Amino acid sequence: MSRPCFLLALLLWVGQAAAQGVALPDNLSRVQLDNGIVLILSEKHDVPLIGLRATLRGGAVTDAAGKAGLASLLGGLLEKGAGDRDAAAFAETIAAAGGSLSVSAELESLSVAAEFLARDADLMVELVADMLQRPKLDSGEMRRLRDRRINLIRAAKDGDPRRLIATYGKALLFGEHPYGNAINGDENSLQGISHRDVLAYYKNFVGADRLIIAVVGDFDTATMTESLTAAFSAWRPAAAALPELAAPVPATGRRVLLIDKPGATQSYFWIGNVGVAANFPQRAELDIANTLFGGRFTSLLMTELRTSAGLTYDARSELTRASLPGSVAIVSSTDTASTVAAIDMALALLTRIHDQSFSDDMISSGKNYVLGQFPMELETAPQLASLFADLEVLGLDASYIENYGGAVASVVGEELRSVIDAVYPETDNLVFAIIGDAELVRDEVAKYGPVTEIAITEARFRP
Amino acid sequence: MALFAELRRRNVLKVALLYVVSSWLVLWFEDAIRPNVDLPVWTETFVYTILAVGFPVALWFAWTYEITSSGLKKAVDVDQTQSIVYKTGQKLNAAVAVFLVLGVLAVFGQRLLPTFEFLVPAAPVGDPPISSRAPPEIRSLILDNGLKIIVWPDHDIPNVAMYNLVRAGSRYEYPGTTGLSHFFEHLMFLGTSNRAAGQFDAEMEAAGGANNAYTSSDLTVYMNWFPRSALEVIFDLEADRAQNLTFVAEVIASERAVVQAERRSSEDNDNFSKLREQLQATAFIAHPYQFPVIGWPSDIASWTEAQLINHYRTFYAPNNRTLVFVGDVMPKEIFALADDYFAPIPAQTLPAAVKTVEPDQLGERRLVVEAAAQTPLLQVAFHGASARDPDTQRLELLLHLLAGGDSSRLHRLFVEQLAIALSVGAYQDESLDPGLVVFYLTLPPDGDPDLVASALLEQLQLVASEGVSDAELAKAQNIALADYWRELATIDGKAAALGQFDVLHGSYERLFDVPDSVGSITVEDLRDVAASVFRRNNMTVGVLRAPAREDDE
Repeated sequence: MSRPCFLLALLLWVGQAAAQGVALPDNLSRVQLDNGIVLILSEKHDVPLIGLRATLRGGAVTDAAGKAGLASLLGGLLEKGAGDRDAAAFAETIAAAGGSLSVSAELESLSVAAEFLARDADLMVELVADMLQRPKLDSGEMRRLRDRRINLIRAAKDGDPRRLIATYGKALLFGEHPYGNAINGDENSLQGISHRDVLAYYKNFVGADRLIIAVVGDFDTATMTESLTAAFSAWRPAAAALPELAAPVPATGRRVLLIDKPGATQSYFWIGNVGVAANFPQRAELDIANTLFGGRFTSLLMTELRTSAGLTYDARSELTRASLPGSVAIVSSTDTASTVAAIDMALALLTRIHDQSFSDDMISSGKNYVLGQFPMELETAPQLASLFADLEVLGLDASYIENYGGAVASVVGEELRSVIDAVYPETDNLVFAIIGDAELVRDEVAKYGPVTEIAITEARFRP
Repeated sequence: MALFAELRRRNVLKVALLYVVSSWLVLWFEDAIRPNVDLPVWTETFVYTILAVGFPVALWFAWTYEITSSGLKKAVDVDQTQSIVYKTGQKLNAAVAVFLVLGVLAVFGQRLLPTFEFLVPAAPVGDPPISSRAPPEIRSLILDNGLKIIVWPDHDIPNVAMYNLVRAGSRYEYPGTTGLSHFFEHLMFLGTSNRAAGQFDAEMEAAGGANNAYTSSDLTVYMNWFPRSALEVIFDLEADRAQNLTFVAEVIASERAVVQAERRSSEDNDNFSKLREQLQATAFIAHPYQFPVIGWPSDIASWTEAQLINHYRTFYAPNNRTLVFVGDVMPKEIFALADDYFAPIPAQTLPAAVKTVEPDQLGERRLVVEAAAQTPLLQVAFHGASARDPDTQRLELLLHLLAGGDSSRLHRLFVEQLAIALSVGAYQDESLDPGLVVFYLTLPPDGDPDLVASALLEQLQLVASEGVSDAELAKAQNIALADYWRELATIDGKAAALGQFDVLHGSYERLFDVPDSVGSITVEDLRDVAASVFRRNNMTVGVLRAPAREDDE
């Protein structure tokens, strides 16, 4: 999509949101610098804060082969000193201003998120510019951070398995495709990353040609534009092109990965397959379908597994939003003794949404819910900055943005059925990741398909 | 002059006069009722515009058409010999006179007779904040039954955040009833005499709303986030479960299983929570803060229906609650709805006060939890202060500069320089009675918890003996100030903060004192509070590590 067209779409979308009563900023400004950087600015003066989101296209899918977690590690290292400040001075400067500044890796992007008091706008721009253009990338800091991250993965494996189950599930589903990479890496892949890898990554994948900076908050647009232009217009492009990935291939048949956590009193499961890409044309239907199936408290999954059967505390269906088809999965947990009962029930419900339609009342309830809740996602400066950056990164089709509110309102049953059939897998084609006490569930989960087993302490997320 | 004569003949001038007089009446009426009902701000402009646009239309109509004995006809088509324009003119004159008399009577009547006020029943308007620092648009009201309602209008988005705070929590529990308050929180969603289990959520979500709830040691808090259009649905749902809850054996049994699952998820299979629960149970020996909010498993299995009913009657009375509304609402409409829906619920005798005071700790306490773990955990607790105590804010600043982020003292030293910890953080309870100040650290696989615990106490006592620098104080103040503004950036944050301050700090107005009181804290304050809290005898050290291997024993 061409840039002006995108801006038009954004404005139309903002206009439409405003028509529904959402007081979105009406002063959006978009500028593209000569080196390719896109600046999106919007003033918002309700509190004396500024939110900034600087997003680099790329992310975990640009990790070198066998070096999962490289983009994320580089991101962490950007926080460890830049410009004239070493790691300690950099952290001290942020905290002294009461600001926050952190870098996080996503599947297809690397993002700097900053929030500062309005009086520190210049400082914020200086720190973000230093961090991206003049990071120290010190080798000692890099090794310490890498070793610490390896141990933090071990610590996470001692913690709540709900935080890890999707990582195992996606590794199993996508296999060698980069969509299966653990975004922050695993113990093995991190161990294999050298300082030279990090420097090469910085040169190849961090640069002006793929950067979007969105700023929302209590500032003056002309001044902020000037300040960002001065700080960023001389930056170089990244040396390597973004990789062209093949679309992930959906799983056929069934397979099971059992992750042994001895002594666990619950089984945690992730059951999924490949779904659709972020630019899926019937997004409104899909959002309603997922809300009704597993996206809210009265969803089918919650009503049956929790409210009626008392089998779980939480059950949901999750969709990954990415440029190529991502995962669609049912995620829940249950008492070890009821592992099979809960999984059987989840599968029965997956069958049911293919066989039976949601009632008109339920569809109308789903629409109200989606429309009633979305304004709360667009309330703060950081939320809006992140939204503006994400829209630009995903390059969402103009019609999707223009029509979203209206599309939600006009969803009808038959289209919902066809979208469910197109997006949600049949129960014959599924991968199952299950964390639990293997000794107690090993035999009974074999009925779902061939079982591969690893210990949770294994230094990776895949067999 | 011929035109003027024709204008007169066709009654255009009389129509104009009638229009002006009746417009005056309409505007007077709009003006009179506006203070009593919440008309949108654009109403006045709208009425003026309609009247202005209508004027030429009325004149054109009067010119073009004429009333005849056989109905309305175009004036040019009327046989002038049959014209009754004169009679019509008389009627118009009479109408002008009647309207004028009505208008004069109304204006004088309004001044002389208070009876005009019965047109719109007066809704309670609530009290403005007593502090000049608080935004003046906030209003609060206490109904006759003791229910307190606080409203902060904020029209940024067409949504509302509602917090329903009930003074019920593990603080009021004892062995055998631990976790009852939390379990009850679940029951509040599971059916009334008007609604079956599940209907509460179904109706709320169908109206576009979402909800959640949590229980702490002091409070059970219900939150609803919904579009403005769902306001009355929410009142209906909340008032229903406030007085008509049912206790159905099968529903209770099923929900017991859900809570056991919640306990397995949030406590048993997470090493951090497992250690925290044991730490809390060890740090307190007398005060009920020793009990886990979710309850001990054997208690979860054994509450009786009678206990649940008693809990409902005692703790869920209107005089034991506070309602907070922030968002696209006006105080007057909220108070009117509250009057309709909540005023009929009778007040109850308040629950007995909790009188237990935790006795001074007489020496360091230590506990060990053995669990499958690649990385040991260390949690160190000190008895701190109650939410109302000014020491709580001083401790907050201390925790920022000790363990808040990459620039903090403990992170720099333990994580970056010595590499004896993978991460360090700290929190304190914000509670009615003095709670805990807790430092929590994740150690590397070969980490030595005892060594790190000693190093931690040494660092904390360094603050007590040597204090902190002005720069550190300023940094902590800036972080606290920024956190404060971040919380107030959303309707949810505002509602949470108003409720928290009203119930735990004694008044919602104190929320707005935070910037000044944070700014007035000195380095001496921080040294003093460090000296009084970070004492070895006030400390409980909890360690979670893997079981010792058998060949070591």
